Amino acid sequence: MTADIALRRKPPSEAEEDLNSFRKNRDLSFQDLVSIDQVTQKDLELIYDVARRFRDYRTYKFSFNKGYSQVNAFFEPSTRTSSSFDLAAKQLSMDTAGVSANSSLQKGESYLDTIETIDAYNVKVIVIRSKESGVPEMAARHTQASIVNAGDGWHEHPTQALLDGLTMLDHFGSKDMKGKTVTIVGDITHSRVFGSLVRLLKMLKAEIRVAAPLTLLPKEVEKFGVKTFVNIEEALSSGGGSASGGKGADVVYALRVQSERGANGFIPSLREYSKMFGISRKRLDLASKDAILMHPGPVIRDIDVHSALAAVDEQSHILRQVENGMAVRKALLWLLCDRIDGKTKEFVRK
Amino acid sequence: MTTLLIKNGRVVDPKNDVDGVMDVFVENGKIAKIGKNLKEKADKTIDASGLVVTPGLIDIQVHFREPGREDKETLETGSMAALAGGVTSVVTMPNTTPIADNQTVIEFILKRARELDLINIYPAGSITKGENGAMLSEINELKNSGAIAITDDGVDVQHEGVLKRAMEYARTCDMLLMSHCETEELTEGGVMHEGWVSTQLGLPGISAGTEDLAVYKNILLAEETGARLHLLHNSTAGAMREIRAAKKRGAKNISAEVSVQHFALTDEECMGYNTNAKMYPPLRSQDHIDAIIEGIKDDTVDCFTTDHAPHIEPDKIKAFQDAAFGFVGLETSFAVMNTYLVKKKHIDFSKGIEKMTIAPAKIIGVDKGHLSVGADADIAIFDTDKEWIVDAKKFFSKGKNSPFIGKKLTGKAVYTIVGGKIRYSEGEIVRE
Repeated sequence: MTADIALRRKPPSEAEEDLNSFRKNRDLSFQDLVSIDQVTQKDLELIYDVARRFRDYRTYKFSFNKGYSQVNAFFEPSTRTSSSFDLAAKQLSMDTAGVSANSSLQKGESYLDTIETIDAYNVKVIVIRSKESGVPEMAARHTQASIVNAGDGWHEHPTQALLDGLTMLDHFGSKDMKGKTVTIVGDITHSRVFGSLVRLLKMLKAEIRVAAPLTLLPKEVEKFGVKTFVNIEEALSSGGGSASGGKGADVVYALRVQSERGANGFIPSLREYSKMFGISRKRLDLASKDAILMHPGPVIRDIDVHSALAAVDEQSHILRQVENGMAVRKALLWLLCDRIDGKTKEFVRK
Repeated sequence: MTTLLIKNGRVVDPKNDVDGVMDVFVENGKIAKIGKNLKEKADKTIDASGLVVTPGLIDIQVHFREPGREDKETLETGSMAALAGGVTSVVTMPNTTPIADNQTVIEFILKRARELDLINIYPAGSITKGENGAMLSEINELKNSGAIAITDDGVDVQHEGVLKRAMEYARTCDMLLMSHCETEELTEGGVMHEGWVSTQLGLPGISAGTEDLAVYKNILLAEETGARLHLLHNSTAGAMREIRAAKKRGAKNISAEVSVQHFALTDEECMGYNTNAKMYPPLRSQDHIDAIIEGIKDDTVDCFTTDHAPHIEPDKIKAFQDAAFGFVGLETSFAVMNTYLVKKKHIDFSKGIEKMTIAPAKIIGVDKGHLSVGADADIAIFDTDKEWIVDAKKFFSKGKNSPFIGKKLTGKAVYTIVGGKIRYSEGEIVRE
């Protein structure tokens, strides 16, 4: 009998006591999660301690959040993020409902009116994905419910960064990323994944390199504390040559390049992008010997990442990221809803 | 015959190099006498002890939205906002609905202004029909019906050929052309200053270069055509550099303004997706502010404006990217100038007043903005030390958005007098 089957057969009271023993009566410092900037070192430890244990229990149904509801407001299409938020909530015994962009917003209702309407259901959590940056942050100022940002425009996608951080730390078996180099490749300007990841990696003390054509690098991105490269080989290998005396990347993180960027003149074609910045076997070999390959998905095979590397290669952690996503979201939802200190948001509805 | 005596105020009149405690006597809407201890008997006397008496302020870039968007602002509410800020004359931008590209709209605005009898309203007509950037408006007709200038403000004439012909034609009609400098291909989709803050917020940026290039283009064509060109709301170091260079070359036909927010606030105001801080040109970074202040000191910048741009609340409580550009400034412009330039000792008070009175009057060619004997008695009386916190609920404007909300400013209008009549008195609009 494997360990996880043993856990699955645990009676609920024992399983929940087990989770509580990992939580150790700790609470998060925040009530909404719109940016990694809100997350403290202690928050991170708490989320990861709990997430790792949730991961062991796989799809076990806990009753921690019973009686609380969650609305998944995905105003922009999503596959993995929306389904994993929904399943995570259900595995904590929450009731969930989904709203999408092709409803009231198309009829001309404002974001704020839609969100205030949902909040009036007295739900505990509203998960928001929006095409525009800043919608979750604005929503958080107008709701009793906790707002969780599931990706806003080009700004942030904090739970993606949290799951990426967990994936990296578990791989290296360390508490932070000190001494490790992460090379992020792709469309930085339009990437909310980058927005959160760079903030988290900074917290984890990683050395961060970024490789992209200059058309896809935002202004003053260096102020995040990253080193920028237009040559991917340099970014993966020695880190800008002898001057830095660096070594190869420990994590190669590829971002998706959307096909419409080509039409808008950011790159001439996906073909040329793939040749210049796509992650191939040869390029991955320039990185550190035991480097891991990560990607937030969806992978556009043979454009961002060479097909053979995407899923089958043992260096690829792409599916592990997805699994960790479930665990991290479950941890977050439990910690937001079921607070030991009983605190609620200060917002009072009119 | 009505008379008014303003006693014991510190009179600051930059045109006449006046700065001292004295009395101002107004008769029949004109300045009749200025001096110490005037003994004239007046119908009404204002004790201005401890206050500062200046020419009424002139703001040559405001949006009053009427006709067409009276839900945002009317000529009446806009005028009331002006009075509350010590502003007695404005130039209204032509991007109303319909656009002021014909004499009918100009005549309507002038008629309403006469009926209201609150402030002096000088409407600007548009450069091109419907501000479409393609076909010239009937500029001579606009002038004959009373338009003070032409501009496509809100947008810039993108086609250089059209802009050049507009300048040649404006010169033919001896009309001032005002340019909103923007290179649309470079600003496409941009919603705030492009830099570190836009990168952190994940918002599309508006580079400084988009303005620099348009300023350069406008100057070049004005030098070539000899047209009178006024550059609206400059916000960048590059704009300052180009304007300074043009003036140094001897270009006497070019003037430039800065809207007061652009020397006061940085793009940091956009943090938290604060749509009150969304405007065009965008609030820039500190290095641009430093360059603007240098430009003010060496008179590269001729005058200050607000670009008063009221919006209804629903247009501002949106995602930052979807929210409207602009905010209301008439009720705060004097205080912003006083707080961020005078109190911070960048310039002296008289210079600040010059750029809000005689300098803009000269640009639009009206005999206003000074307190010479015989001049129109447009007068503002300020408490320059009064500290107050900006509260949108107290605005006379219909617009309730401003990046200055909640900020402490120093200086406030106490009385505003237009044509010898007290139109604003200690927080209240005064009508007959």
